[in-house]
Amino acid sequence: MSDPAATSSQAMPPLRVRGPRRLFNAFEEVFDEERYFLILSVFIGIFSGLAVVCFRLAIDWTHLALLGPLPQTHTWRLFVVPSVAGLVIGALVLHIFPAIRGSGVNQTKAALYIFNGYIPFRTAIGKFLCCALAIGAGHSLGPEDPSLQIGASFASALGRQLHLSREKLRLMAPVGAAAGLAAAFNAPISAVLFVIEEVIGRWSAGILGSVVLSAVASVVIERWFLGSEPLFRIPVTTFKRPSELIAYAVLGIVGGVAAVIFAKAIGFLRPRLKALARWTQYFQPALAGLLIGLIAYFGAPQVMGAGYDFMDQAMHGQYVWQMLATLALLKIVATTLSFVSGTPGGMFAPTLFIGAMLGGAVGGIEHIFFPHLTGSTGTYVLVGMGVLFAGFLRAPMTSVFMVLEVSGNYEIILPVIIANTFAYVVSRSLQPTPIFDLLTRQDGLVLPSLEEEREETILRVEDAMLPAPDIILSAADYIDAAARRVEDSTQSIFLVRLEPSGWATVQRDLLQRLLHEGKGEHNLGSLIPPQPLPSLFPDLPLDNALRFINNHPIIPVVNRANRRKLEGVISSQSVFAKYGAPRKQD
Amino acid sequence: MSNLLTKLIPRSVVVVLLGLTIAAVAAFAAVSHLVARFNANQQSRGRKLYEQGLNDMNAGNPGRAVEEFRAALTCDRANPQYQLNLGRALRDTGRLDEAESYLVTLWQRTPEDGTINLALARVAARRGSLDDSIRYYHNAIYGVWASNANVNRRTSQVELIEFLLHKNARPQARAELVALAASLPPDPELHLETAQLLAKAQDYPSALSEYEKAVMLDRGNPVALAGAGEVAYRAGRYRSAERYLQSAVSADPQDSESRRLLESATLVLQADPFVRHISDAERNRRISAAFERAGERLTTCVQQKGIDLNAPANTDVSSPSSALVTLESRWLAMKRNLPKLRSPGETDLPDAIMDIVFQIEQQAANDCGEPQGLDQALLLISRNREAVDQ
Repeated sequence: MSDPAATSSQAMPPLRVRGPRRLFNAFEEVFDEERYFLILSVFIGIFSGLAVVCFRLAIDWTHLALLGPLPQTHTWRLFVVPSVAGLVIGALVLHIFPAIRGSGVNQTKAALYIFNGYIPFRTAIGKFLCCALAIGAGHSLGPEDPSLQIGASFASALGRQLHLSREKLRLMAPVGAAAGLAAAFNAPISAVLFVIEEVIGRWSAGILGSVVLSAVASVVIERWFLGSEPLFRIPVTTFKRPSELIAYAVLGIVGGVAAVIFAKAIGFLRPRLKALARWTQYFQPALAGLLIGLIAYFGAPQVMGAGYDFMDQAMHGQYVWQMLATLALLKIVATTLSFVSGTPGGMFAPTLFIGAMLGGAVGGIEHIFFPHLTGSTGTYVLVGMGVLFAGFLRAPMTSVFMVLEVSGNYEIILPVIIANTFAYVVSRSLQPTPIFDLLTRQDGLVLPSLEEEREETILRVEDAMLPAPDIILSAADYIDAAARRVEDSTQSIFLVRLEPSGWATVQRDLLQRLLHEGKGEHNLGSLIPPQPLPSLFPDLPLDNALRFINNHPIIPVVNRANRRKLEGVISSQSVFAKYGAPRKQD
Repeated sequence: MSNLLTKLIPRSVVVVLLGLTIAAVAAFAAVSHLVARFNANQQSRGRKLYEQGLNDMNAGNPGRAVEEFRAALTCDRANPQYQLNLGRALRDTGRLDEAESYLVTLWQRTPEDGTINLALARVAARRGSLDDSIRYYHNAIYGVWASNANVNRRTSQVELIEFLLHKNARPQARAELVALAASLPPDPELHLETAQLLAKAQDYPSALSEYEKAVMLDRGNPVALAGAGEVAYRAGRYRSAERYLQSAVSADPQDSESRRLLESATLVLQADPFVRHISDAERNRRISAAFERAGERLTTCVQQKGIDLNAPANTDVSSPSSALVTLESRWLAMKRNLPKLRSPGETDLPDAIMDIVFQIEQQAANDCGEPQGLDQALLLISRNREAVDQ
């Protein structure tokens, strides 16, 4: 007599072998490349977040070790520390990490558009070490841009090791960049917008999903370790009277002009210093450090480092407007010196600093002349931060969301939008080339200018559209009737409206042949080729037509509300005429 | 290297994800360890700076303390104790916006915390903002305290009352005092403090009640006796005032203010014709004496003001000379009726005489300055009488 349990256990082994394998295979099949990429984005966010946490600790540790915890003036450390750090950085940049000079944003863009997503991992290491030393020693630079590049480098390295497709590999760097920036700013929305607005330049569900996932994952990690405290303690901000928008518009104009001065100073000095003899480049960061140290020594230690603590103090009315204006000016000088000397580091934090101080100064002056203005100094400081971001970095959307995200206060959205718009417009009109594009061109790279692309007027289908032809046949028409209708026409090809919808073409020769074959009693729809004709809408980019015009001599342009309604047609001649190029004869 | 890695890292999705998960967990653990060590180091540094800051605060150097607390916060950004003390130091240096900002950040996290609410109330009080101060003081009074809750609540309430008195918001101060008095334990010092606040709020009957409680708990306390005597005097309860002031003077013979008030209260009791338990003859004597004294006071005041009683009457009835001249003529007219005081049928005459006496004393006090001696006693009786009538 057999034991049922034993029978059962004897039956199990094949299942034990097959089950996991089947599950494994099923699991593998679930992950097409899109899903795989999304999951990888989360890992990129996690690793970038961890790297940025370490980077922040390294900066803090360096600062404490080199400059001490208490802000001091008139101490030799203030100019000796950044000078010596500058010497070390100069040697490291020239001999070990030559790729870390310049902007991380541009290098990420270059990876996307030129190097198929490739950023050497050594760049991340170099950025980490040199930027931590530079910022910790008091060079006037910020940690956001290096964080962005550390994230991008890590993502690029991971993508290469996993042998992703070229398209996905290109996108790895921006995804990592978003993660790095989000962790550095503790602001995921701004980071996503910045990467979309400035690096990738286009929206699609796949890209957006990956960028958002990585940004969120990195911010979660950053908050886990460093806490969810915002960068600043946000003061009470008020906006009561719409007439006060004029005051913010003035701030926008001043911010736009300041952004242009800042950008022009960098644009002017950077290539000149770069062109000097190689040996001078050992000393350029040191000299910049010495000058910044002297500024600090003689009473403005606020210009050293990223300066978030001082922005916080400005936000809470600790400085009078004269001091705020002086700090804005000195920070422009200090950041320009640091950046053009080739010291690696970012310009986000200095930009926010200058904007904050400028905002406070403009607000202070406006309060002298118009004491009834209700906006506090803190409000102007906060709005000013966005103003310079919009004017200098030329990221208008990011600038608005960054201020909202950092402040957590939607009451100031109108002042922020108004001021940022003015700053952006003023900056664009006085300095047509954005700073990132300027730096790229100075480095001899040709990267797409996303701002220029945004502003480009694109050709649309309606621009190449010809009027609808007089004769439009119907699929229900008889062949003989159709032949009679086209008899006097000079056209050789005619559009046929299909039932219930769609379009096709028929040639005069075909109609004649069918008539001669005695098929005059047949419907046109039953005899013409079954492949329907593609149709276009008038507002579509003309590029869309290029895909079809080689295979179809004419393409109907139809109304979006009623696809049976013909707005016109395009032909290969009309399209190429619009592009200004004669069509090659096949 | 790259080829080696390529060989090492399999291309199976599941294996890759598993590998990444393990790497992430390992990296997370490593960073946790690093952050923990860094934070421990920073916290130790922060504690040192915090202690320096506290020392500077206690030494009366809040400016230096601000820098130290700020530096402590860079070491331990989320430490509420550092933030609270930075807020306090900023308040003491007059940087109220900054102080408020730090404290509001803390308050948003723990709105029920008594310490934070008290600190915010003090900032609002320094700004002079009545509504905010009351709100935060109330939060502190009814909030949560880590230790010594009753003492801290009482301290907050006393501070609120002092602030309200400073802002001349007496009705609100009295309301707070009523609540404070109701919750006091049997401690003479606390009753004494409350009584003094009630006296400042000019709620003399309640103040007297609190002083009496203090006296009951600490019978020989000269401060309580003097206070009780003074508030009884101000409340027009001269009999009680005399009793307490006598005790106060006995307990502290150097207390000149109590002695002065005692003399005044005794004089009032001796001159008041309306007190009970005196004979008609004594009442009439007091009325006559008051009338004569009022006449003398009027004459002195008229002379002092240089008014010629024989000159044509001033048509402006509101002018001091006109009022004094009118009172002179009314006094003379009443003097003719004074002998009728002894007649049993003249029941309204005492009131009519005293009415003139009070009007003369009040007008003279307005025109010729605060009186002394019997005149002062008559004026006090007049005011007390007015209060009773009202």
